[in-house]
Amino acid sequence: MPVITIDRDRFCRFIGRRVSIEEMTKWLPWLGLDIEEIGDNYVKVEYNPNRMDFSSQAGIARAFKGLLGWETGLPRYKAEDGEISLIVDPSVENVRPYIVCAVIRGINLDEEDVKELMEMQEDLHWGVGRDRRKSSIGVHDLDSVNPPFTYKAVPPDSISFIPLGKNEKMTLREILEEHEKGIAYKHLVNQSPLYPVIVDRDLNVLSFPPIINGELTRVTSSTRNLFIEVTGLDRSSVNKSLNILVTALHDMGGRIESVSVKYPNREEVTPNLTVKKMTLKTDYANRLLGLRLKEDEIIECLRKSRLDAEASGRGILEVSIPPYRIDILHMVDLVEEVAIGYGYYNFEPTIPQTVTVGSSHTASIISNKVRLIMIGLGFTEVMNFILTNEDIQYNRMRIKKERPIRLANPKSSEYSIVRDSILPCLMKNLSENKHESYPQNLFEVSDVIIIDEKAENRTRRELHVAAVTSHPTANFTEARSYVEALLRNLGIEDFTVKSTSHPSFIDGRAAEIRIEEKRIGIVGEIHPEVLNNFDLENPTGAFEINLEHLMERLSRKTLYSNR
Amino acid sequence: MSELRENEQKTLNALKNAGGKGTVEDVMREADLAHAAVMRAALSLETRGLIKVHESKRMRIYLNDEGKRYAIHGLPERTLANTLISLGGEASIDEVIEASNLSRQIATIALGWMIRKGWARIDKENRRLRIIGKPERGLDERVIETINKRGSVFLDELDRESVDIIKTLKRRRIIEVDEEITRELELTDEGWKLARTSIKLIEEVSQLTPEIIRSGRWKEIRIRRFNVEAPGPIIYPGKIHPAQEVIQEIREIFLEMGFTEIRGPIVETAFWNFDALFQPQDHPAREMMDTFYLTYPSMGDLPKEDIVRKVAKTHENGWTTGSTGWGYKWKREEAKRLILRTHTTAVTIKYLAEHKDPPLKVFSIDRVYRNEKVDYKHLAEFHQIEGIVMDRRVTLRDLMGILKEFYSKLGLKKVQFWPSYFPYTEPSAQSTVYIPKLKAWFELCGMGLFRPEVLRPLGIKHPVLAWGGGLERLIMLKLAVDDVRFLYKNDLGWIRRSPICQ
Repeated sequence: MPVITIDRDRFCRFIGRRVSIEEMTKWLPWLGLDIEEIGDNYVKVEYNPNRMDFSSQAGIARAFKGLLGWETGLPRYKAEDGEISLIVDPSVENVRPYIVCAVIRGINLDEEDVKELMEMQEDLHWGVGRDRRKSSIGVHDLDSVNPPFTYKAVPPDSISFIPLGKNEKMTLREILEEHEKGIAYKHLVNQSPLYPVIVDRDLNVLSFPPIINGELTRVTSSTRNLFIEVTGLDRSSVNKSLNILVTALHDMGGRIESVSVKYPNREEVTPNLTVKKMTLKTDYANRLLGLRLKEDEIIECLRKSRLDAEASGRGILEVSIPPYRIDILHMVDLVEEVAIGYGYYNFEPTIPQTVTVGSSHTASIISNKVRLIMIGLGFTEVMNFILTNEDIQYNRMRIKKERPIRLANPKSSEYSIVRDSILPCLMKNLSENKHESYPQNLFEVSDVIIIDEKAENRTRRELHVAAVTSHPTANFTEARSYVEALLRNLGIEDFTVKSTSHPSFIDGRAAEIRIEEKRIGIVGEIHPEVLNNFDLENPTGAFEINLEHLMERLSRKTLYSNR
Repeated sequence: MSELRENEQKTLNALKNAGGKGTVEDVMREADLAHAAVMRAALSLETRGLIKVHESKRMRIYLNDEGKRYAIHGLPERTLANTLISLGGEASIDEVIEASNLSRQIATIALGWMIRKGWARIDKENRRLRIIGKPERGLDERVIETINKRGSVFLDELDRESVDIIKTLKRRRIIEVDEEITRELELTDEGWKLARTSIKLIEEVSQLTPEIIRSGRWKEIRIRRFNVEAPGPIIYPGKIHPAQEVIQEIREIFLEMGFTEIRGPIVETAFWNFDALFQPQDHPAREMMDTFYLTYPSMGDLPKEDIVRKVAKTHENGWTTGSTGWGYKWKREEAKRLILRTHTTAVTIKYLAEHKDPPLKVFSIDRVYRNEKVDYKHLAEFHQIEGIVMDRRVTLRDLMGILKEFYSKLGLKKVQFWPSYFPYTEPSAQSTVYIPKLKAWFELCGMGLFRPEVLRPLGIKHPVLAWGGGLERLIMLKLAVDDVRFLYKNDLGWIRRSPICQ
């Protein structure tokens, strides 16, 4: 989640009155902001990615004033007609087709403002631009270049300029290969033979979107007029980014001026700061929130959320949404605005009349019965992850496995596959508890995942129980006695125990457990090589049983009705 | 008077037979008991006033290796004298030493003693040695013999002359002297009384046996008293994992509140995990960085075409939900990708799609996955608690009420609700709870009403309240564990020593 530091003095300037740090920390959370840190004269907050307009202090100040009733209703933004134009060359169509622009005049930025502007851009790149793919922003000192501007795509070696933060000219190709931003974002352009650039009348480069701006148009505290361009692959994303940015700059003291963007076959005047309209049914709002607010009360709540609303017929409100609110998709989003304006702190919790009868899942009922028996047998429960790796799951167990269920991209090397049996995890548990006294009797009743080509998700989740008993006189016979004790106490008498061979167990000391000729589990004495692999010294008996086959038999209904 | 143990009786008897007094060693011999047994008995008898224990320090004298050799072969001056006699009573010094087989060093010392004892004389001019009469057996030789015979003697057993000799022998490094504490036991009047009257040996056993019980022999024997206050060996019971305890507690709360438990697949298609929940296909949470995708198996099946079409349209343009949608081209292949579910809501939404009739209250506490770097705050695999209510008229206030009730069953009475954001709920809220134990507010469950874009494509017509949170946070608060990795490390010491009730 993005984080923004709110400096109290700057914040007060935007609000137009003094507020204390205490007031800020008291009220900011009621806007949905999470307090991260409180300083002497600042508050650091985390904001939710739907509210990208909170990427500036000015944006938060707008909402703050509304919530406290100091300034409510729709903030009005208007772009003055400007002279500046940008020509879109058809060559950008296949690499980065969309561009919107704006001019900000008469702004007075101090060092802090410039820094905030940079941070805001980064947040918008992340939250609206999807890491610069859908949209990326360039902010320029307008007075260092000469309009009209041209947005075009050119061969990688045909143009060079000094990128931000460097002293020497670099070609577009060199930037992608050597500049840190070029290396980070080259995947966004290098699929195309031509790379996008924005140049002025004299072919001075403003930027190489979405990679980097030119040093020429660097914004400093002496910059007074800004040229802003947003390019991208997504038409709505470029507009959203631009609107959030220009409305914030307006609140920071700038005048917005439009730019004429000339595509080969059409002309657009941007920014488009049109107020969006949406209807809200008052009973819909009241029904979802559990309130009985009258029309004018709902309007007041909406105004506190910096929206405007007017009644347009019985129980229907026409709501006006400012251009920086990119998160309102549906009437239901307006309901939340009502709730925030009403104040979450004003909601009295109620208990619904919904009458239902609860019940446990059969898997839980059986797991708990198994737990009860295993504990009675002196076993201690462990809980392992189903994420594991081949070394533990197969190599150390002497098992050859062709195709385990494999993760595409794990961040931790400890996890590469999903387990298909529990036993290896218990062996790992034993090997990590060698300093504890023996006997060590461990069990786990939990999940494994098995390939099932017929299933919608190609897999099947199975409930298993596995146990190990490890001490100087452990052996097959003891393990088998435990299995029998478990099964008989689960009310299962019709199982058979058939000799088998299994690489993890000693030859002649392994057996399958079967019910109605179906294999449901295995019991045996762990092979000494496996013990060595886990660095264990005590003989160890073990078993694992698939409980899925028993699920139906052991469900409560069956036990009580079909006996 | 309390009864005597077997060894105490034996000790008392031994003392009586010895005339009322004897050392520990005497009693050991007489009663055939080990040293420790006599000492234990003596201690107990003394505290009951039946005997007195006299402690005294004594100097024990014994021969060292050299001394033992001399005890057998005689002192070196005796050897030298005997050699001289065998050479006719007069010979040169070198001749005598040569014939004596003594080392030159010892022979020199022996020569000195022979002269001092007046057994021989040296003619200094020609270095010849002559015997004087018959060398008498000295007191030192007698003392050495006595010590040798008895193994050791106490200094206080010797007469004054012998004590002087001991000093000489010690200087000659033939003997060793150790300080030793000896204990002498003496019957008191009380002890005498008891010893004279009642001592009849009664057998004592420490472990009852079936034989003793069955035969009735227990009536004749005495069962040894144990030191019941001494610590015994530690026993660990079989036990449920501490995290499982918490899962069970939460399950009970849901069941008490009338919720039905549901369970579903861990490997799921992106469709049910994301698309059905109106998460756009380019949503950051869907990236490989955050979600575990599978390479094998990698693709699953989508549900009924009707559902897929409606979900796709809702993403693209809102379909008939009244939403604007996300405005992008929805891709079928992306939705088919198999992942490890990132939340149990994948199960919930599928369940809702199949159970559309109100009322419905379901819950799950189950495994979920995030492709996160594991550290003290984060696990790649953990448990999510989730609760769902669907009914004709349920509201945000109801959701707050249910959650308040839920927390209150955990003993957490102070709850606050804040605005928040989740992609598939609107309005959404976050709850913070005051934990009295830590005197602090903690963020626990997030919550909200499912969005129409989620419900309508699946044909769900009534509002759905949902809340969820991490189980591990709760476990850590309860068990005062501050590193989440520790919870599933399965440290047997921790599990064994964690009380079931805590």
